[in-house]
Amino acid sequence: MKYFFLIVFLLLILASVGLRLSAPDVQSEVPVTYWVTDPNPARIEQINRFHRWLIKNGHVKEVTVTTPTEARQLRARVPETLADDVIAMQPEASAVLGPDPDTSKLPMTIRLPICEMRTDAANRDTGKQVIQGVSGVAGDVMDVWTGAGQVQYFEAIGLIENLTEHATAMGFDLSQTFPALETELSANGEQYAFPCNVATQMLWVNRATFARFGLPAPPQQWTFSEFESFGKRFVDAANPEGQRRLFFFCNHVDTNDMIRSLGLSFYNETMTRCDLDDPRYAEVLELKYKWTYVDRLLPTKADQNSFDTASGYGGVSAQLFNRGNYAMLKSGRWMLIQLRKFGELDLALAEQPHGGFRNMRIGSRAAVVYKGGAHRDKARLFLAYLASADYNHLIVDDADALPPNPAYVDSEAYLKPPKYPNEWDVHNVFSRTAQTIAIGGSFSPYVLDSIARRHITQAEDAFMNDKLTAEEAGEQATARVNAEIERTLKENPALRDQYEQDVARQKKIDALRAQGKPVPLDWIDNPFHRVYYQAQGWAE
Amino acid sequence: MASSIKQRRNTLTALFFLAPNIIGVLTFVVFPVLFSILLAFTNWDLRKHNMFKDESLEFVGFENFVRLLTEADFMRYLGNTLFLMMGIPVSIGGALFAALLLSKDSHGGNRRVFAWLATSAVLVASCAMLAAVGMAGTGMVILLTGVAAGIMITGVFGGMTVYRTLFYTPHFVAGVATFLLWKKLYNPQTGPINAALQPVLDVLATSVNAVPPPTVYALTWGCLGLMLALAAWCMNWLRAQWRDGEIGTQAAIVPCVFVLLPTVIGLLWGQTQGLAWVLLIGLAAFGGWQMIQITTRGRDFTCPRGEGFGSSLMICLAVMVLQFIALGFAAVFLNLPGMAADGLDAPEWISNYDWAKPSLMIMGLWAAIGSNNMLLYLAALTNIPPELYEAADIDGASRRQRFWHVTWPQLAPTTFFISVMATIGGLQGGFEMARTMTQGGPAGATTTLSYFIYIEGFETGRLSFAAAVAWALFILVFGLTLFNWKFGNKYVND
Repeated sequence: MKYFFLIVFLLLILASVGLRLSAPDVQSEVPVTYWVTDPNPARIEQINRFHRWLIKNGHVKEVTVTTPTEARQLRARVPETLADDVIAMQPEASAVLGPDPDTSKLPMTIRLPICEMRTDAANRDTGKQVIQGVSGVAGDVMDVWTGAGQVQYFEAIGLIENLTEHATAMGFDLSQTFPALETELSANGEQYAFPCNVATQMLWVNRATFARFGLPAPPQQWTFSEFESFGKRFVDAANPEGQRRLFFFCNHVDTNDMIRSLGLSFYNETMTRCDLDDPRYAEVLELKYKWTYVDRLLPTKADQNSFDTASGYGGVSAQLFNRGNYAMLKSGRWMLIQLRKFGELDLALAEQPHGGFRNMRIGSRAAVVYKGGAHRDKARLFLAYLASADYNHLIVDDADALPPNPAYVDSEAYLKPPKYPNEWDVHNVFSRTAQTIAIGGSFSPYVLDSIARRHITQAEDAFMNDKLTAEEAGEQATARVNAEIERTLKENPALRDQYEQDVARQKKIDALRAQGKPVPLDWIDNPFHRVYYQAQGWAE
Repeated sequence: MASSIKQRRNTLTALFFLAPNIIGVLTFVVFPVLFSILLAFTNWDLRKHNMFKDESLEFVGFENFVRLLTEADFMRYLGNTLFLMMGIPVSIGGALFAALLLSKDSHGGNRRVFAWLATSAVLVASCAMLAAVGMAGTGMVILLTGVAAGIMITGVFGGMTVYRTLFYTPHFVAGVATFLLWKKLYNPQTGPINAALQPVLDVLATSVNAVPPPTVYALTWGCLGLMLALAAWCMNWLRAQWRDGEIGTQAAIVPCVFVLLPTVIGLLWGQTQGLAWVLLIGLAAFGGWQMIQITTRGRDFTCPRGEGFGSSLMICLAVMVLQFIALGFAAVFLNLPGMAADGLDAPEWISNYDWAKPSLMIMGLWAAIGSNNMLLYLAALTNIPPELYEAADIDGASRRQRFWHVTWPQLAPTTFFISVMATIGGLQGGFEMARTMTQGGPAGATTTLSYFIYIEGFETGRLSFAAAVAWALFILVFGLTLFNWKFGNKYVND
């Protein structure tokens, strides 16, 4: 028996060695870097272009091949997809890397990109990224959703690299993207991310759906009451009396955008306090409740679940929009990737309804560089690539939201893609709103966004489930978020001084506002209030 | 000498081969467990302490434990966990029932076989007709329910292995897959559960609307009367046991708290606040009567104060659960006429705050009935000596008596083991369900302690606090297990 165990033991050791030798890093001629992103098929082309961009810009490893044996060895150490990119940039390299090698052309110098980028779609979850990050094994480049406060969380943990200096030197600083994204991509005044794409979410309108029920298409801008009266007309016309409701005016409206349109933000001007114990927040919650349960303009969670079951697994919003179950769909430009599959839909866009102050949240799927990565220099090159013309044109063509750099949204290719004339009314609207009324997220340095969001969501859920009144929900959310701020200060006494200063500044702001006097703009940290104060003429 | 050397060599060889496992356990189990104890007494926060941040770690004593005890979230999520655990007695009962069914000698006579076949044919034909008229979901539920009911009533005719495998299926199907399946079953609009339930509720609503509301309210009073009767029976039983010297004074008085609890909740609960005074008066009357009995008749035999504590506690807990059920029905009947006026809607299950927890509990019951518990009971049932049944038969015992006086006592060690394991599993469970089906919502209604640990540890980075919650959970598990061991084990051995 013990010899049997010994054999098993030795086999395991051999298997371990074999596994190590078959690892991409060991097998590949150039270092392998990983991009933790979603499993979107578009990533393949984006990576291919990155490899070509590297070669084009001279970020290469030159390998001189003199003998057929060397050629064969190199071919074995360059994956096929990478070889295609190399051949695309250096056609003569096909003599070595192509399917039909031609040794008569040797010796030859092959220019390989200095790294091979691969995607890792299995580790997009924040929890996984954190665990892997603090264990030293996270991906070299990671995608984060800026609207969820991930940049701030990762920065707080120290997982991601401060890119400010590199970005300036390599051409992917904040001036290369939409100005409203500044708070989304930075923390404590330093840049930590660069967008892969940019998203402003608007309401997609399928004019054919409205025409089907004898209604005109909605306007591009509307108030809460206009939205409500239009919506009632639609759902009354679309849903037969006494039957299960299958047609809704819109799939979703965003609380944050709505309260901002009333001049309110989650936080005060200096982000030292949660401000949701305000009648305007209660007003928005009550409106959402009315639109969901009374007027039935929006689907309940149960309705959404039902649609999911009826239509198969995941990603059903586009199909429901195409079928007319949602007259409008809240989403970004990237939804075109799905909508184009349905043929030439008669598309238009509407803004989310507002309570007086038009605004729109801007967000982004951004890339960050893992601080513990072995190939940080290559990862930074990837961010430089995201700012390049090559990548931006690709995003423009793919309709994968807005390109990172607003310079590319004025082109004819963006505004009027020849293959899709039905979209000519929408591209301009997206880019214009992103550059005019879009505002980034408000992230308090005194509470993690994920924590604040959990408390706010719980309070809203409790209200929507009739467990709290709208006022109580606001008070509960405020009390809990403010308690978290206190807890953060207790856990991080180093923040106390800054907090006290901010609170003192807030008092000055309140005093000036009470007297009706303008407030110096640089006193205001909250990006929403900065824009709002300027719009109202309250800023100095 | 030679044998000693050989023995030592054998030991070393064994240790050598065991080394990978031992090192693995030490590294990935023992060390993290010990380390997490230390962690719970520090201020370890991922935002301050990790491979990229080197702020010095501070010892904070019991601060994390004090915080969790004073934090509303912890208490709330503990409440959620305990609520879900209320299904444990039912799941154990279900597992036992399933095991009894699947071990039942049911090769009956021709009449039973004929009845079974005829019923099956009617059932299948009815369901096919329902499917033909577009009610396939309802048909499927009726078919499954009918088959289950048939098995329960008449037993299994052949194919025992198939049935056993079917019952055990929930255990070997991956958790996430079953959660997704249940998510679809619970679908309020298109799920088969509501498809079957809604017609029943429609009939119920019509019936309720047809009778005068006082008739329905009478059922409320009936439920409150049942609560009172249960409490009275329990007090009477406790006094009788105390009088006969079966339980001590302490064991007779302390568990009474649990019998009073539903009345207290009834007085505080908005739904029944106006009615529960009847319970209070009734309980006071019964309590006074018992006191008079105790004072005038005394006790016949004496015993130590804590004697029989486990038995009396178990009885009181069981009565408490039944009282809560009766209280719930009382509230339902109280509101039924008002609710039925506009028709009764099937629940929105996991999307609804009030139904989310019961939904998870029902799913847990389904999984627990066909679990290892059922297998353990099956094994235990086969181990009961047949001579005991023969002796019972000779004494003329009925089937019920055979069960209570032979089967149930023989299964006591298994029941005890299952109870302990289910309690531990219940306290630690709920993470996968919450993460897959509800993300802890709506409004935190399905966030259990294990999910809370995950949120605190990895979504907010407060590792030391998460460790403190984990250790608080361990203390709870350990305490309950000790309690089970002290009282339950004694009961088993008795």
